[in-house]
Amino acid sequence: MDSVVKKIVREVKRGNQDAFAELMELYKDKVYHIAYRMLGNSHEAQDVAQEAFLRAYMNIESYDENRKFSTWIFRIATNLAIDRIRKKKPDFHLEDKVGGTENLDYYSQFASEEELPEEQIVKLELQQWIQDEIMHLPPKYRSAIILKYLEDMSLKEISEILNLPVATVKTRIHRGREALRKRLK
Amino acid sequence: MACSREKQTLINQYMDEEMTLQETKQFEEHVNSCAECKQHVTELKKTIAIVQSASHFEAPASLTANVMNKLPKQPKTKKWQMWMRKNPMIITAATFFLIFLVSLSAAFGGEDEIVVRGEGHFIINESERIVIVPEGSSISGDLLIRNGDVEVNGEVEGDVTVINGEHLQASTAQISGDIEEINEAFEWIWYELKNFFTKVIPLGNNDGSEE
Repeated sequence: MDSVVKKIVREVKRGNQDAFAELMELYKDKVYHIAYRMLGNSHEAQDVAQEAFLRAYMNIESYDENRKFSTWIFRIATNLAIDRIRKKKPDFHLEDKVGGTENLDYYSQFASEEELPEEQIVKLELQQWIQDEIMHLPPKYRSAIILKYLEDMSLKEISEILNLPVATVKTRIHRGREALRKRLK
Repeated sequence: MACSREKQTLINQYMDEEMTLQETKQFEEHVNSCAECKQHVTELKKTIAIVQSASHFEAPASLTANVMNKLPKQPKTKKWQMWMRKNPMIITAATFFLIFLVSLSAAFGGEDEIVVRGEGHFIINESERIVIVPEGSSISGDLLIRNGDVEVNGEVEGDVTVINGEHLQASTAQISGDIEEINEAFEWIWYELKNFFTKVIPLGNNDGSEE
């Protein structure tokens, strides 16, 4: 996998745009998913994911091939997501309501003529609830929790993505975990 | 809530799976006897399970296309370079073919000199541009004449090939092989190709005439 990615990245560096499409196919789902979990809606997630890939393309020369490409692209994406959260809500508190449009957004993703089976609605509601709870975390804890528990990454990887010491990442995971526990109990 | 601040640290270590086997055992013993810690750990485990049950989405199908459309347009030369790098075999083949054509066109009509290839007795008449195989003499093997005519009065044991010329045949002539006249560049190319391939790729139909 890594050697394949290296080869593709080298192609991109040579100016092969088609190779960049291959690279996107490999990482777009994860990048989009992280952005979605950080931002809580699909429009913004798509925006951020696209912007992240555009920036990656523009700055591909500065990418160090000895490091994992995933770490690099996730870092760009999380930074963009955090920037966007800051712009949207300069004063974000743990108890802030995230806004009433989330439900609408979420369901509109699955907009369909036919009625959803009840089972599916329950599942959607559960999923929506989890996302709401994640959205209640301050962004700095949110990113750590998402990378740790949703993307199943190691502390070292998370520390590289977030550009923070491992100890700080640990603290953020602990605090995020505690905050979620208090809300979910 | 954990029963003490110290225990909170232990809970984190436990949840992060950073304890040795013995530490884990000791801690679990404590948890089993302490209601506060037990509840705390259970809640944390539940929280993580809930977060981890969040499903994974796939990116919208249009994402790649959207980004690709926004990439800076590349000049045509760059695209052409990319195409060439991607298809080295085609480029190599094309180059070879070009060289082949150039050398052929040089060989065909490029020189006026009469060239004769064959073993045996023959007469070359430079002024008339004619090669004569006189009566009674024989050519062992194939005979190839370039840039001239050929008159066979004697015997040729192989094929006769005339490039850029004609052949005349007397009634006394004995030619065991085929007679071929090549006067068009196209035919010439075909002939060279055929030769090339039969030399490079022995097809296993060596009928003993060679060597």
